[in-house]
Amino acid sequence: MTRKIDDTTRYERLLERYRNGDLDRRSFLGLIGAAGVAYGLQTPFAKYAHAQDVSQIRFDGWGGVVSEAFREYAFDPYTEKTGIEVVDGTFSGGDEYLAQVRASQPGEYNIAHLSGVFDYARYKNFDLTTQLNLDNIPNFELVMDRLVEPYRAITPDALSAVPYNYGTTGLAYNRAYISDEEMKEKGARSLIDPAYEGKIGGWSDWRTRIWYGALATDQDPNDIQDMEAVWDAIRQHRDLALKYWGSGAELMSLLAEEEIYVTEGWSGRIAALQEQGHDIGYYDPPNGFGWQECLFVIKGSPVAACEELLNFMLAPETSIAVAEGQNYPPALDGTKVDLGDKIPTLPAYDPTGTLSGLTFADPEYWNGNEAEWSKEFSRVQRGY
Amino acid sequence: MGWHLIRLWTLLVYGFMFLPVAVVVLLSFNASQFGSFPMTGFSFRWFVELAQNDAILRAFRTSLILGALTALISTTLGVLASLALVRYRVPAANMITTLLIAPILVPEVVLAVALLLFLNFLDLPKSFPMLLLGHVIFTLPFVILVVQARLVSIRRDVEEAALSLGASPVQTFFQITLPLMLPAVLAGALFAFTISFDDITGTLFWKPGGVETVPTQIFSMLRNSISPEINALGTVMILLTVGVPLLGLALARALATRSGG
Amino acid sequence: MSVEAREARQPWILLSPALTAVTFLLFVPLLFIVVYSFWLSSATGADIPAFSFENWEEALTDPFYRDILLNTLKIAGITTIVCALMGYPAAYFIARARGNKAFLLLLLILPFWISYIIRTMSWINILGVSGAVNWLLVNLGLTEEPIQMLYNETTVILGLVHFLLPFMVLNVFVSLDGIDTNLEDAATSLGATKWQAFLQVTLPLSLPGLAAGGLLCFVLGAGTYITPMVLGGPRDAMFANLVYEAIITQLNWPLGSALSLMLLIVLGALVLIYNRYLGMAQLVKGLG
Repeated sequence: MTRKIDDTTRYERLLERYRNGDLDRRSFLGLIGAAGVAYGLQTPFAKYAHAQDVSQIRFDGWGGVVSEAFREYAFDPYTEKTGIEVVDGTFSGGDEYLAQVRASQPGEYNIAHLSGVFDYARYKNFDLTTQLNLDNIPNFELVMDRLVEPYRAITPDALSAVPYNYGTTGLAYNRAYISDEEMKEKGARSLIDPAYEGKIGGWSDWRTRIWYGALATDQDPNDIQDMEAVWDAIRQHRDLALKYWGSGAELMSLLAEEEIYVTEGWSGRIAALQEQGHDIGYYDPPNGFGWQECLFVIKGSPVAACEELLNFMLAPETSIAVAEGQNYPPALDGTKVDLGDKIPTLPAYDPTGTLSGLTFADPEYWNGNEAEWSKEFSRVQRGY
Repeated sequence: MGWHLIRLWTLLVYGFMFLPVAVVVLLSFNASQFGSFPMTGFSFRWFVELAQNDAILRAFRTSLILGALTALISTTLGVLASLALVRYRVPAANMITTLLIAPILVPEVVLAVALLLFLNFLDLPKSFPMLLLGHVIFTLPFVILVVQARLVSIRRDVEEAALSLGASPVQTFFQITLPLMLPAVLAGALFAFTISFDDITGTLFWKPGGVETVPTQIFSMLRNSISPEINALGTVMILLTVGVPLLGLALARALATRSGG
Repeated sequence: MSVEAREARQPWILLSPALTAVTFLLFVPLLFIVVYSFWLSSATGADIPAFSFENWEEALTDPFYRDILLNTLKIAGITTIVCALMGYPAAYFIARARGNKAFLLLLLILPFWISYIIRTMSWINILGVSGAVNWLLVNLGLTEEPIQMLYNETTVILGLVHFLLPFMVLNVFVSLDGIDTNLEDAATSLGATKWQAFLQVTLPLSLPGLAAGGLLCFVLGAGTYITPMVLGGPRDAMFANLVYEAIITQLNWPLGSALSLMLLIVLGALVLIYNRYLGMAQLVKGLG
């Protein structure tokens, strides 16, 4: 309990400092005038993020609708309450972001919207985790247990992130050319069906390729026995595919423009296509690829301030706004929180709050093979 | 005859260059998000949404400022260096030219990571000036190449005549050399601006918190979907760059006929 | 101070800002990459400082890297030639046109106002099966079924040409614009045909611009990685994609460092050759 009081008094103190600081900066900038210089001058303040007095927190995530929702429902109310400014940055992918974090100073980056289990484990390997005190995040109570389990398996002592949303990478197909029955019957094999040569797509991500290679060869993706068969399936897919896509925007335009008829796809993106009236079907085959994303607190960050911000971000109104923007269900348990009208209709949504229908990747198994498989895929992709 | 062929060829080249532009302009008026041909509806909604989108407009401002400062610094450095290399006998000039062009020989992602590691080593935080310097370094080769190519074709004897008539080297530069190489200087500045305006890889790595350029905004939208507001922004920019000079020309012509008549 | 000494110092004063910038923002940071290329990567976690030639051995002996490097040089070469063929006449037209040259040049830069990724992705609306070209072909009755045109090496080159053509045109223009048109007239008045006058007077004088444009196109073409990702098929990749994958996707910075230095050395050697035989210094002598 003492901790809580400490934090409150600290925030009050900070609020005052921030107001002073803000005044100083404004008059200072007024003298200088040029906006370009202003950006440069902002950064000395960024150092405060890991000093004793927290004046700002850096959050990095996806832009567009996602960052708009965070800004409106979490960051602005948070700043109003605590006086701590939230600076939001964007990235174009988790891999590239990890490279940036590796080449940065401790405390420069604070919270990031990362891929759930894979990144969590990788950040642990690079010794970038912190220890969150969940008592300071009351809204954590609303999160589904099933999503937390994998994190606890990686860092048993304390969590370094909270789950935020989940989705699946299932099979997306153009219903004008492929019927629902055909898709149910063929499942992952439809991606290596010669009948659709030149009309097949796929994500260029090595994990997804191997996962679907395992499904096409009837293997358990979390325990592959015959890796050679999987590589062969990947080669077949490569030869039949028109294109590997690299982003949700590309995936949507390939399907919408009928460049491809079948590919695996992200549930939220396919839901967005369906919303726009495209006749695209979505099917999660048995052992389909479930995934989740988290809000990760990076080592060197002001933990107490981050915990409070996480609480704002996990609040139902923020979670719902973000979820409706990106079409991925929030990590909140639908049996504990009213998630509104739209979310229960999203693909991959689980009203029971148990997520028993989804298969997640076993991070230990996958990250253990990452170095070898990602490199091998780079070759297989190019015909070697 | 030959001239007509050249004109036709040039028209085709411009047509090729404008194809994607035309698509983006068309799509910015499209009612739905994806465009297949023929188009289905006409709407101004993306322009309305763009006008209300602070994040994109802020990014646009940042890109303009960054591009302009990059062009200014990089053109200055490039012109000075080109003058030295072309107008003076510099030992190992070949080697130096190669060194100055080196920034575009390194894959940008490597340059990006290397510079980050170095900043980290120096304990310097990321900042707008650092981002600006990063942009300067990889736009410099463009300026140097184009300015050098122009400078070698400017005949030395004009400058020498000015010098022999008693002009100082500085006077000679500003009154003879600079006007003669002005097209190249402007072309270099234009290169630097557009390269900086359009850069993604380096910017992703070097931008400090809270600073977004138009390309980084777009890249962060890639996962979910790029809003057609971006198309609207492109359309606005094109209308401005084509419209303002055309308007200026028309005005000048109107004024000329009036005063002439 | 003697006049000679001042004369000798002047170029260095002019060069120093650019050289300082390149030294501190490129070469010193690159030292980190050189050091890194001798380290060892671990399967998970941080890289291990070492002095090992393992990465270099892999980069230099594995045919996978060699083949893709050669293919990259081939694609960059084709792109450069196409750019020169398309760009030179256009630049000639602009330089000799009576209209507003600045405006014509400005038009050429317009596509850059649309972000690279959007421009590249917009080819799907042009060449895709439900794109403008196929719609036209089908409606004109030239084809029954839409033709699959996208996602192969040709479209990668097409995307690169679209990106690089303005650099070629601007470089050639700047060079052509500096040539006295009287020279060509003089040649024709001495009995040369227009074509001969062009070949013997204008073309040689515009070579610096053509060479500079060609070098830019080649080097930028060889270093690109986004275009093959967006416009290529599953197999299409250029060397920079491998570097990007090693560093970003596989987190193997030591190997990525070795690979990028390899590309730097190859391109650097080409630039040195260019400077030696085609470059500015050579041309200055020729003109002098």
